[in-house]
Amino acid sequence: MSAPRRGRAPNAAGWRRTVPGRLLAGGAGVAVLARCTGGPSALDPHGVRAVQIAADWWGMAIAAAAIWAGVMSLLALALLPRQRGVDQWALAEDYRETPRGGLALVVAGGIVMPVIVLGVLAFVGSRALAAQVTPASPTAFEVDVTGHQFWWEVHYPSQQITTANEIHVPVGQSVQLTLHGADVIHSFWVPQLMGKMDLIPGQTNTTWLRADAPGVYRGQCAEYCGLQHAHMAFLVIADPPDQFAAWAAAQAQPASQPTDPALQDGAQVFARQGCIGCHAIRYGAGDTGGKIGPDLTHLASRGTIAAGTLDNTRGNLGGWIMNSQALKPGNLMPPMPMDGPSLQALLTYLESLK
Amino acid sequence: MPEGRCGRGRRAAWGRPAGLASLVLALCACSPERPAPWRLVLPAAAAAQPEAAGDPRAGAQAIQRYGCGACHAIPGVPGAHGAVGPPLAGLASRQVIAGRLPNTPDNLARWIEHPQAIAPGNVMPELGVSAADAQDIAAYLATLR
Amino acid sequence: MATVAERPARVATDERLTYLWETRPGLLGKLGTVDHKEIGRRYIVTAFAFFLLAGLEALAMRVQLAFPENTFLSPQVYNSFFTMHGTTMVFLFATPIQSGIANYVLPLLMGSRDMAFPRLNQFSYWVYLLAGLFMHAGFLLGQVPSGGWFNYVPLTGPIYSPGPGIDFWALGLIFLAFSTTAGAINFIVSTFKLRAPGMTLSRMPLFLWNMTVMSFMVVFALPALTAANVLLELDRKFGAHFYDPAGGGSVLLWQHLFWIFGHPDVYIIFLPAIGMVSTIIPVFVRRPIIGYTGIVLATVATGVIGFGVWVHHMFATGLAPLSQAFFGIASLMITIPTAVQIFAWLATIWHGRPVWKTPFLYVLAFFVDFIIGGVSGVMFGVVPFDWQVTDTYFVVAHFHYVLIGGAVFPVFAGLHYWFPKITGRLLNDRAGWLEFALVFGGFNLTFFPMHITGLLGMPRRYYTYPPNMGWDLLNLVETIGAFILALGVLVFVLNVLYSLRQGEPAGDNPWHASTLEWQTTSPPPPYNFRSIPTVHSRDPGWELQRADETTRYGSETFSTARETIGTSLHDAEPEELWAMPQDSGWPLLLALALAATFVGALSDWWWLVVLGLPGGLVAVVGWLWPTRMKVIAL
Repeated sequence: MSAPRRGRAPNAAGWRRTVPGRLLAGGAGVAVLARCTGGPSALDPHGVRAVQIAADWWGMAIAAAAIWAGVMSLLALALLPRQRGVDQWALAEDYRETPRGGLALVVAGGIVMPVIVLGVLAFVGSRALAAQVTPASPTAFEVDVTGHQFWWEVHYPSQQITTANEIHVPVGQSVQLTLHGADVIHSFWVPQLMGKMDLIPGQTNTTWLRADAPGVYRGQCAEYCGLQHAHMAFLVIADPPDQFAAWAAAQAQPASQPTDPALQDGAQVFARQGCIGCHAIRYGAGDTGGKIGPDLTHLASRGTIAAGTLDNTRGNLGGWIMNSQALKPGNLMPPMPMDGPSLQALLTYLESLK
Repeated sequence: MPEGRCGRGRRAAWGRPAGLASLVLALCACSPERPAPWRLVLPAAAAAQPEAAGDPRAGAQAIQRYGCGACHAIPGVPGAHGAVGPPLAGLASRQVIAGRLPNTPDNLARWIEHPQAIAPGNVMPELGVSAADAQDIAAYLATLR
Repeated sequence: MATVAERPARVATDERLTYLWETRPGLLGKLGTVDHKEIGRRYIVTAFAFFLLAGLEALAMRVQLAFPENTFLSPQVYNSFFTMHGTTMVFLFATPIQSGIANYVLPLLMGSRDMAFPRLNQFSYWVYLLAGLFMHAGFLLGQVPSGGWFNYVPLTGPIYSPGPGIDFWALGLIFLAFSTTAGAINFIVSTFKLRAPGMTLSRMPLFLWNMTVMSFMVVFALPALTAANVLLELDRKFGAHFYDPAGGGSVLLWQHLFWIFGHPDVYIIFLPAIGMVSTIIPVFVRRPIIGYTGIVLATVATGVIGFGVWVHHMFATGLAPLSQAFFGIASLMITIPTAVQIFAWLATIWHGRPVWKTPFLYVLAFFVDFIIGGVSGVMFGVVPFDWQVTDTYFVVAHFHYVLIGGAVFPVFAGLHYWFPKITGRLLNDRAGWLEFALVFGGFNLTFFPMHITGLLGMPRRYYTYPPNMGWDLLNLVETIGAFILALGVLVFVLNVLYSLRQGEPAGDNPWHASTLEWQTTSPPPPYNFRSIPTVHSRDPGWELQRADETTRYGSETFSTARETIGTSLHDAEPEELWAMPQDSGWPLLLALALAATFVGALSDWWWLVVLGLPGGLVAVVGWLWPTRMKVIAL
């Protein structure tokens, strides 16, 4: 062991050393937050539940930063050199005694401060929980959502609406959500509107949301559910009430039997190629089709396909139908290759399902 | 001189082991605006290709809008790993497109705009691509050597 | 042995003790050693190897996530990697490396010659190694578990995860539980019965307290995990419906059972680590710990309350609001004991004088980053906030801050601290500072931005993400940070390899520390101490040598056989001599028999299961068969 270094001013940069790391990460963070990209951010709330949570978050974040900074300051002060010119391995002065101040610090910082802070937090948290559990206003209607690998089945029981991967709600009105899991556990999460709630096989979970500004809000599955958990998104679209009513009325209508020969070709391809085995296009009461995949009666009214993975365009739809496994490997739709004319006819037909 | 592509394009062409290398390159070319460094040392090769009239950057965005990537694997376009039609990596080095046309910017733009007119009954759909968008897309594809 | 008696007593004692305690050369010695120091070394090396493996999996995942819609890893491989990364880090690194350090250090800390059950100790190691290999054997078959490290049903049940992948995980953990439980029993009994005379409970080093509380937690928590896994295997292999609602079962049953184990498990990981912090701080601020009693009470309180908060992992599952409120408040309250410890350490540093060596740097890093993890964790006690950030990168950030800040940094501090004792050489301290800077900087660069991506909506366990969500740049930064962190770990590995051969000789006590392990040579002889010391204070090394000390146990009287002194629980008064076993091959045979049983269960080779059980029985009989104790005359 080399001779102890004498008089070397202990480097108080134990604290400063952390600052560049902090600044880098914190600066990047602030820059990102300030931009507010419009992604599905819990810090960009547009519904009463998310607004409450975001407000609580900022309070907690400031308190957390203050506590951390306070403890770091104490640590930095504790590390400042006090005895100079001493052999570094010499025992500290009064090492045999327990300084009164030491125990006072333990009690003050370890018991008094946490009890106060946590008491406040317990109060805030309990109040927030109570507020979140009860809908802010009486719910206007129920939306029934079932999670599948890897898509969202959506029903509006009172309005006779069946759709998939997209939910419309009227702005400013609370809506009840009834959540079911068909196969494995999924989780319904629209960060801009509400915290998440799981869809669990064998039980029904009930929650609610209210969007307070019109817009398109991205939701995502938030419980690992298998290979394509990463591609199981949905849209919550908040419309002014009259627009919502128009949407609901259109969605409640069944599809009309195609009269145009081009569309009839497409409908025949739909049946011939076997799509009808998994997907329903409802023409009237009792006329359904398969229920294994999303209902397609109003496919063309939706903004995305493949559970938010692709925009709903002719090109994307064509590629998805022909070989969905290349785009979302492990999803439960097999490739459906077909010849050119069949594909074009099918696409034209599907585009008519508004 | 056609604009270079940032790290993402080349990474797909290299394949998996290139993850780390692409990372280093990404450090210096993380947004589509900056040309990838290796492009800067090959001006002679770039000049061999006739000038494309469209804007490759707008072309890459148009590709995403129209959903070309749902059928074709296209380097440099996020999410473009379709496996219905041929992969488009190296398209610019090929002589023939659509199995029948010489590979020129104009032919490529025409093909993109009206595939059913050029090859009726083929699988590639009419997507309603505007003439301007078709030229931009062709310009982007012309960078895929 | 007339010749021996003629030599000076001290040399004769050393020779006798060496003869009695050394590991036999040859295969029996290699495979059958019961020396806790050798077993501890093996634990540490094996655990670190798993750490590197899990770290590589993490680096691969970070490369995949560096860009949106990346195609570096397929979803299947990515999902397997995050499963194995978490599983390996939690089960095959975090607890075993601390068990390994404790295995090496505890008998020395308490002034004993070995653990209470040396053969059980050896058995624990072999089962750990075999279980770890078992869990990774899926890689060879392309059937790697991919259910996530907490393996929720129904995804991991027979319908949605057919094939043996999940069985490697579940059976492997049942197998591993034999090791962890045996180790816990060993620590408890050793601490209760083998402390040096005079080492009363209130003079016991804090590391012993922490290991004891942790071991009790293991004994009570691990059965819940074993039960969960047994029920899962019954579902998967025998058509039971414990977790199948269509058959009358419950999906949430898995989550309750798992987290009743899983939450105490995080304290099982955390308590030994802060035991090391409590050990290292006094040495590097040159004064005894302040608030010893408070720390002990806080440790026990954490161990108890830790069993009462598990539901906070399930707040989004739709449980009754009242129950969520209760568990939310309980989860807030468990912070208080930890706060007591933090301020006790702070007070110690305040009234001490820092010595700036690498172990202390890691302790400071622990303060900086564990507190960040702690305050972010407290936020989850506000249930609606939990609903936003659970299952997102925010929680990934939180638990990496508490696990790396709160456990890995103390472990690195411990490795740097005890390396000289284990090897007799010092690690290069300059390289230690470089390693520290890379590890600390890389860690924060990787994980701090995850708080932000989580709040910006990025869920966890996504193998890729769409562009333009506001996550792109942060993910790239995180990937860069991960490689910096990896570079730091590489520097550590190189430092170790270099210092093993070329490191400066350490001497008995390079850190001028106060605890008993530093009062013997580095590395210690096979018998640890020539004389078992009598302890008069918490910091025996800092007391003046007592000139009148005649009560040193174990020199002449106790060097005729392989034995050590058993003492009473509370006041450590000598009670009896404990005969200690010789090297033995039976523990390995039992471990192999168990391994055969589990391989049979995995592969549905029930004949192998049937063979393995009697094979195990034979090994147990051989193990317990009375042997004649080897005695040498004085």
